[in-house]
Amino acid sequence: MSTASLYKRIVRRETHSSRAGIAITLAVLLIVALAWIGTEAVLAAVGTAPLLLAPTDLVDSTLDAASAPVGVLTAVAVVVALIGLVLIVVSLAPGRRGRRGGKAERTVAVVDDRVIARSLARTASYAGDVDPSQVSVSVGKRSALIEVTRTSGRQTDVRSIDEAVRDELDAYDFSPALRHKVKLSEKGTVGS
Amino acid sequence: MNSTNRALNRIVVFVIGLVLLLAGGAVAVGALWPDVQQTVSQGASDVKGPTTDALTEQPWILWVVAVASLVLIVLLAWFALRQGHGQTGTLLTVDEGSRRDQTTGGRLVIDAKVAEQVLEEALADTPGIVSVDVTAFRVKRESVLRVTANARRGVSPTDIRRSIDQAVAHWDGVLGTETPVVIQINGGLRSQMSSATRLD
Repeated sequence: MSTASLYKRIVRRETHSSRAGIAITLAVLLIVALAWIGTEAVLAAVGTAPLLLAPTDLVDSTLDAASAPVGVLTAVAVVVALIGLVLIVVSLAPGRRGRRGGKAERTVAVVDDRVIARSLARTASYAGDVDPSQVSVSVGKRSALIEVTRTSGRQTDVRSIDEAVRDELDAYDFSPALRHKVKLSEKGTVGS
Repeated sequence: MNSTNRALNRIVVFVIGLVLLLAGGAVAVGALWPDVQQTVSQGASDVKGPTTDALTEQPWILWVVAVASLVLIVLLAWFALRQGHGQTGTLLTVDEGSRRDQTTGGRLVIDAKVAEQVLEEALADTPGIVSVDVTAFRVKRESVLRVTANARRGVSPTDIRRSIDQAVAHWDGVLGTETPVVIQINGGLRSQMSSATRLD
């Protein structure tokens, strides 16, 4: 395997969820249920008292459930179906982890979106000469939104913030690339 | 980086989801349809006697259930426990031979610890990095080093990558060959707690 395709594979795996958490949770739930059924089966076979419910009672109550009131039965069935639907969606969704990969050279880099957001926030606060606490940045899949709260009684230079952020984003080689938007909030803060 | 079988994870989640969706959907539709509901509940109460008799008179069914449960438990436990492996302790092995990149007498084994200590030491004093961790993984029969750096708040990720690339270049010089390196720049809790500037 060449290094380039190896890097591509690793970046893909590091930026997307492995779905290990939900798979392990489901496996553990199934193990608990199966362990209980198996134990009850053995206890019934050797003729000892059951832990919770003997297999014959279990089968009986399952068959009884078919003639349960329609409302209850439907409600339970719909909830089960919805859980199934959620699991199917989870298994098919890409599962992005809020990271993006850089260009592969000698090494390859995977960067957390939070690092990018904080870096953009600092750039914006320097460029606009506002306190860092007055800048908030949110990074989505393809866009970064920079919200600046003005200091009341002072001009805030949106254009220089915009240019500084653009310069920083141009220096990045991450994919998916980010577009940015600077928003000046209506209200200002007093002081600082 | 690890050798988790991601396709298998997704298949397991999908199959369980499909079973739940089909079972729930079938029961819901059947319950709302009076004809089906009548037939099924009638049939269910008819087979109640025979199944109870079968379970009490033929205990082998219970043993089969127990063994089947055990087999499934073992399979599921294997599935849950095989996740997340793939770390390796050996970075490089050079065998004896006559080619240029081989040793002439004996076999050379370079431990992953060497790379970890050299790179961690080299990056410990980088201003933009709060902490750094180096681990070796085995990916597709190749040793890959992963350098995880926690970024100081507000530091540009390109600056951090540049410092790490420099350290890696030095490490390549020391090692005499190149192994793939993956840099991971994180902004976890530690970087959130760190101040924007380093004071010392």
